Amino acid sequence: MTSAAPVISDVAYQDLLNDPYPIFKRVRDTASAVFVAAANLTLVTRFDDIVKIERDPVTYSSDNPTSLVNKVMGPTFMRKDGAEHATGRKAIEPSFRSGTIKEHWTPRFAEISERLINSLSGAGEADLFHALAAPMASLSLMEMIGFKEMPWETLALWSQFLIDGAGNYARDAEIERKAMEAGSGIDAAIEAVLDHHRAHPNPSILSSMVHADPPMPIEEIRANIKVIIGGGLNEPRDAILTLTLGLLANPAQKESVLVKPELWPNAFEEAVRWISPIGMYPRRVTRETDLSDVMLPEGLQIGLCVGAANRDDRRFSNPDMFDIFRPRQSHLAFGAGAHFCAGTWVSRQTVGKIVVPMLFERLRNLRLREDAPPLIRGWVFRGPVSLPVRWDA
Amino acid sequence: MPKIIFVSADGVTREVAAGADQSIMQAALAAGVPGIVAECNGAAACATCHCYFDPAYAACVGEIGEQESEMLDFAASERTADSRLSCQVRVMAEMDGMTVRVPALQ
Repeated sequence: MTSAAPVISDVAYQDLLNDPYPIFKRVRDTASAVFVAAANLTLVTRFDDIVKIERDPVTYSSDNPTSLVNKVMGPTFMRKDGAEHATGRKAIEPSFRSGTIKEHWTPRFAEISERLINSLSGAGEADLFHALAAPMASLSLMEMIGFKEMPWETLALWSQFLIDGAGNYARDAEIERKAMEAGSGIDAAIEAVLDHHRAHPNPSILSSMVHADPPMPIEEIRANIKVIIGGGLNEPRDAILTLTLGLLANPAQKESVLVKPELWPNAFEEAVRWISPIGMYPRRVTRETDLSDVMLPEGLQIGLCVGAANRDDRRFSNPDMFDIFRPRQSHLAFGAGAHFCAGTWVSRQTVGKIVVPMLFERLRNLRLREDAPPLIRGWVFRGPVSLPVRWDA
Repeated sequence: MPKIIFVSADGVTREVAAGADQSIMQAALAAGVPGIVAECNGAAACATCHCYFDPAYAACVGEIGEQESEMLDFAASERTADSRLSCQVRVMAEMDGMTVRVPALQ
């Protein structure tokens, strides 16, 4: 029988940040869509429902004129459907093509990874968040976009400020100010290199944008580069840390993958299923509709919790376990449908084949610290915010 | 409507009436053909609707695109001369009776 979305009001926002999975399970077991007061959003958490939604962009639109992302970043193709989205997506595709990844990005990213790991190898201990994952993600994104070299911290800060601004539902003035400041910094960084990319076509994203047919208008370049910075830095960073953590916490699986390197792709897919770097993204209901017996009214904002769907026990057995040997099955860590993550293959290559294998190869007896456990946070974006480790230097 | 015969990796066949305005992937999804995942729903970005097409129908299946070809290098099952991303192949009336083999893994 169809009814309105049930409400869960006894959950604190802090609980979602600390460990969203028990809450996700409760939502999943309650109904297809549940209003969670702490999140101020109707959440969809079941695997099959999210797939159904992503196959129906007419009923469940990405286009949202009032979205904070649009306010903070400008008109981006992440918040468009159909032809408008496709044009933007096509303009960046050359940079993300598998041939370009193999021939151009793989050697560049291997070099950055090697430099970072070499520079920390003598220390014997480090927090891999700041020592490896964040600079790796930042420096490689900088190259991929086609920016002039800058300190990795600059791009990382811009990314964080944009994300904070896009999630600033409380309209905090200071958060808004920082997001706008990051936006100006990015506009200036684009301006500084745009003529170069116009004159010298190359595999970078900015080059793809200015050489697209028709070339992407400047205001869209600015907005879409902001989306790519907001979304392209924390995901690879968090995936590097999550895959490393999954293996360090499960030594038998780690041994298996070190003996059989062909298992790396499985290990990577399992890591992003287990703790999906993007845990939730929004859609807007364009017409009253029935989602698996819950009536969703027109105009309703819903949050697709792919982090929850990837632990849906209707689809994955023992979903809370990290298990690189689970039967191969597609997950939703990269989303689904027309907005399926453009960076999927870059990420599979960089995280699963370059950085993490190199880390385990170079740092002997890499291990977690019993006196300093890892810290994992977030539900919209989730990943380790601290991963202290030791090795035999 | 042309009938397309999908054959799963374990030999089970399923006949699907395909609409002329569809891709082979869309026809398969609409009929619930197992083994076609189509994560990106037709954007040639994921390689999870990989299929093997009967070479006898090569003329109406058409040429492979550059982006599609590169993506097929990442397919989970072996790529052969008959490999295509089914989202990039349009249904044509001449395809009536064509066999499409679905690989074991996507």
